Amino acid sequence: MAYAIEIDHLAFAWQGGQLTLDIPHWQVETGESVLLRGPSGSGKSTLLSLLAGVNLAQQGNVSLLDQSLSNLSGRKRDRFRADHIGYIFQQFNLLPYLSALDNVLLATQFSPKRRQRVAESGQSAEQLAIQYLQRLGLSASQQQQAAANLSVGQQQRVAAARALLGAPELLIADEPTSALDSDRRDDFIKLLLELSEQNNTTVLFVTHDASLGQYFNRHVELSDINRAAGGSPHA
Amino acid sequence: MLKLAIKSLANRKTSALLTVIAIAVSVALLLAVERVKEQVQANFANTVSGTDLIVGPRSGDVQLLLASVFHIGALNNSMSWQSYERLSQNRQVEWSVPISLGDSVSGMPVVATTAGYFQHFKYANQQPLKLQHGEWFNHSEQAVLGADAAEKLAFNVGDQLIIAHGTGGISFSQHSGHPIDVVGVLKRTGTPVDQSVYVDLETLEDIHSGTPDANADDKSHHSHDEHADHHHPTNAISAALIGLKSRQMALFMQRDINTADGEPLTALMPGQTLQQLWKTLRVFQQALNGISAIVVIIGLLGMLTILLASLRERSREMAVLRAVGAGPGTLFTLLVTEAVLLTIIATASGLALLYILQISLAGVIQQQTGLLFALQWPTAAEWWRMLFVVVAGFLMSLVPAWRAYRQSLADGLTVKV
Repeated sequence: MAYAIEIDHLAFAWQGGQLTLDIPHWQVETGESVLLRGPSGSGKSTLLSLLAGVNLAQQGNVSLLDQSLSNLSGRKRDRFRADHIGYIFQQFNLLPYLSALDNVLLATQFSPKRRQRVAESGQSAEQLAIQYLQRLGLSASQQQQAAANLSVGQQQRVAAARALLGAPELLIADEPTSALDSDRRDDFIKLLLELSEQNNTTVLFVTHDASLGQYFNRHVELSDINRAAGGSPHA
Repeated sequence: MLKLAIKSLANRKTSALLTVIAIAVSVALLLAVERVKEQVQANFANTVSGTDLIVGPRSGDVQLLLASVFHIGALNNSMSWQSYERLSQNRQVEWSVPISLGDSVSGMPVVATTAGYFQHFKYANQQPLKLQHGEWFNHSEQAVLGADAAEKLAFNVGDQLIIAHGTGGISFSQHSGHPIDVVGVLKRTGTPVDQSVYVDLETLEDIHSGTPDANADDKSHHSHDEHADHHHPTNAISAALIGLKSRQMALFMQRDINTADGEPLTALMPGQTLQQLWKTLRVFQQALNGISAIVVIIGLLGMLTILLASLRERSREMAVLRAVGAGPGTLFTLLVTEAVLLTIIATASGLALLYILQISLAGVIQQQTGLLFALQWPTAAEWWRMLFVVVAGFLMSLVPAWRAYRQSLADGLTVKV
């Protein structure tokens, strides 16, 4: 398995619109941490939805971990996503009514594969989740609090713990730091990358903020790989 | 999944609670209609047992039954003593008890009869009447009270009561010249017997014919003498309860009496006539059922509205679940689980509400109507109704579940705010 992400001759346009994405070839190697930068409207969200398998490319191929997403049925894509990919979003990452800990444990609830990997570690999912949350700086009492009562920074750390629980091969983060101030942002990224490295998780970090590039193996501008000029019609 | 559904609902307690209350009240109503019907029928069915035929003046079966046994309504005519005597001598007849109605004591109906009443009248499962205090009356100027009558009139053995003409609570014609001794109080039966005041047939005859008190001893003396000459204790009675040697003969006897020449009479079989009554009332019963079913559906529609309205604010929740690997099918199941959970909680609360109402109102209902509402485990019909509610709730939940399914497919992992 050479590539965590491999894109070939990808073309995608929103219904009736211009081409949003036109990527002849792009790949991310296993174990890499990549920062993908582009201004808003450059097709970042569209690319993420293709990587998540929510939308399918009209032409070309998107493969994750050597698995072509277009060859999978909707149900299998859901399963594949749950098993192999952790996500952190800009906001709205947590179920507000569950405790921080329960939010983290959601990761294993829908994925047998992640449960299995947790089991292989010799610890229970709960023990691991508590460890992650502690390392990300949430106290035992904060872990029991409903997510709605946590600060944005704390919420993002809980989301990170969830994305990483069960050691998925790939972590995709979509502007997770946009709501954090710069000190907290840098701390957050450092911790995220540290934990990912321990799990051998490949990281794709999507942002509009170029100043974060220093933390990653590789910094890619979306405009360098995407030949389509237009952006998403939704943006 | 269940845990998630519960926690998600707990997060929306106010709307969930209101939904539960609305459905619970409607379920209680739906069950109450059935329970009232059931208990009324059971009460009525319990009232007469062991009586094969009731014979009275020509009238409708239902009217005769209601008047003679339940003291509901009145009979316009009476039946002559001669007819009664002829009937009681029929060789099919094992026993017969005459009853005469139309008087009251402070609104409690007076049943003038013979001592045979206590011997032959049975209620529920062939249970005979039993005395709580005192003894049966054995001659005129004595009365035995039903349990409720004794309680309401605050009379006990040894007290004296005055019979009023007519069945109203207030009568201008009090037979005050004829005080009557209470000699016994019956044990509670849960039937109209409890409401009644029992006196000897001759008592009624005496007070109506205006025989002075002083002659009472004389009169009873005479009647002893005249029994051999078929003395009539009264000229007319309201109805007669009849037990046959063989129950199979009831139908023939009934036809014989109904078609006989001479005084026009009506004979009825209590069980059959009750069925006839229920059949008549079925339309109302069904109307009540229909209305309460509609109320339940309105309650469920309220739930549907609340669930649909919540979908918009829950698109975040859906997106998060999708991102952690829950498929659209899982979200569909989640919403159905939620709605079914709500419905089950509501149905259980409705059932609890019904029992609470029954327990708290049983006393009032008994006082007002004489109906004894027995506490019992839900009947099959009630379980079916509850199942109907849960199934209806399930079917309704398919709507928001389908919406969530479609929405989650369209929105994917993004949140449209």
